[in-house]
Amino acid sequence: MSVHFSSRAARRGLIASSSLTLAALLMGLAFVVHTTGGTLFLFATVAPVLVVAAIVILAAVALHEFRGQHKLFEIEYYDPGEAVFRQGDAGECAYFVRDGEVEVVKVAEGKETVVAKLGKGQYFGEMALLSNEPRNATVRTSAPTELATLGKTNFLALLSVLPSTQEDIMKTIRTRAMRMAGVPESEARRSRMSRLPAPPPAGAGESAPATPDVPGRRDGPPPEG
Amino acid sequence: MDSGGRFRFPSVLAVAVALAGCGADPARSFQYDPVEYHGARYLAVALVAGIVLAAWVLVRALRRRVGGAHFGALVVTSLVMLPLLSLATGMLLVFQRAERVEFCASCHRTMSAYVDDMQDPGSRGLAAIHYRNRYIPHNQCYECHTSAGMFGTIEAKLGGIVDVFKYYTGTYDVPLRMRSPYPNADCLKCHAESALWLARAEHVAAREALFTERIKCMDCHGAANPAHPVGPDGGKP
Repeated sequence: MSVHFSSRAARRGLIASSSLTLAALLMGLAFVVHTTGGTLFLFATVAPVLVVAAIVILAAVALHEFRGQHKLFEIEYYDPGEAVFRQGDAGECAYFVRDGEVEVVKVAEGKETVVAKLGKGQYFGEMALLSNEPRNATVRTSAPTELATLGKTNFLALLSVLPSTQEDIMKTIRTRAMRMAGVPESEARRSRMSRLPAPPPAGAGESAPATPDVPGRRDGPPPEG
Repeated sequence: MDSGGRFRFPSVLAVAVALAGCGADPARSFQYDPVEYHGARYLAVALVAGIVLAAWVLVRALRRRVGGAHFGALVVTSLVMLPLLSLATGMLLVFQRAERVEFCASCHRTMSAYVDDMQDPGSRGLAAIHYRNRYIPHNQCYECHTSAGMFGTIEAKLGGIVDVFKYYTGTYDVPLRMRSPYPNADCLKCHAESALWLARAEHVAAREALFTERIKCMDCHGAANPAHPVGPDGGKP
């Protein structure tokens, strides 16, 4: 089982856990170097509590991350204006819009630009899973929205067993990348028809570059979604 | 491999510290204590390695560099395995070191007077007589203040933890008093049936009464030679 501590919550949990562990170990060192009633008491009573707390936090973080990566179409509900994820967050799952609407917002130099709006039947969040890079845009809802989430592991498994899904997703990624690069929609459609990218190797989603041939990819990542 | 390269530094350091700690030859003496000697070294090695690795994890988490092939192993090693190993080894040492006279004396405000009296060559107290004649070679406080057997040890340790808590929270009363009258068994565990003890007709005559605690050892010995002739203010009474 491989667990990545990639999300913001996981990172905070890791910081808390390592801080508690450090405190406990320093108590131990104080006890070894200079044994007094105080250092012994701290090491014998407080340090075990800190270590157990650190392990519990770590286990909770690992479980949370593992579940996040193995989501299988869990349904999430969002109010209007709520962020589904933010630019720079780690990618744990892909989202499928069951109802409502979301907008993809690119943040650059503190300025927000809405680059796309997605509605029922569309999906987003797949690019970070394929490229193994942080989210390259913020996605927030513009109406009451119902999303189905698919964890990274299951998403990559889906791609490897359903080649047609791979093609569909790669088309979408290409279109979005070209839209981001300022290529007109009609041109993007033509390019899409003539140059379908090779699908990533099955089960190699962790390291395979998602869109090696996407224009604009080298200058800057395309919008999430 | 970048992540592997980042992981290499603490790994090498931990191994180096471990080798440095375990490679030394124990300076054996007739007072050589393997638990103290090896326990302290292994604990120090585990603690130092754990501190270095946990700090490394913390720095990487703060810098948002939590990926990499070996990061999971680094986290488990530094935040689970080494702390648990340290606690397990440390508890052995806690039990061992809590028996030392220096440990008892570390509670200065309450215990210094008793330890000073015990180590005073001119004192007539029972503890001092035992100490200067080396009737008890080590852990002189502990040997007389714990009952025989496993439960005696556990009882003494638990009582000690309570005492330390009371000391640091200031919830103790002076003059200090024993939790319960000093039991004969704590004297008899060494003295009973010894030649010196049997040489005294009073002991032989009162043998059954002493063994069943109908007569207390301190009834006779406490008056002539109090265990700790210490006044309420910590001075001589």
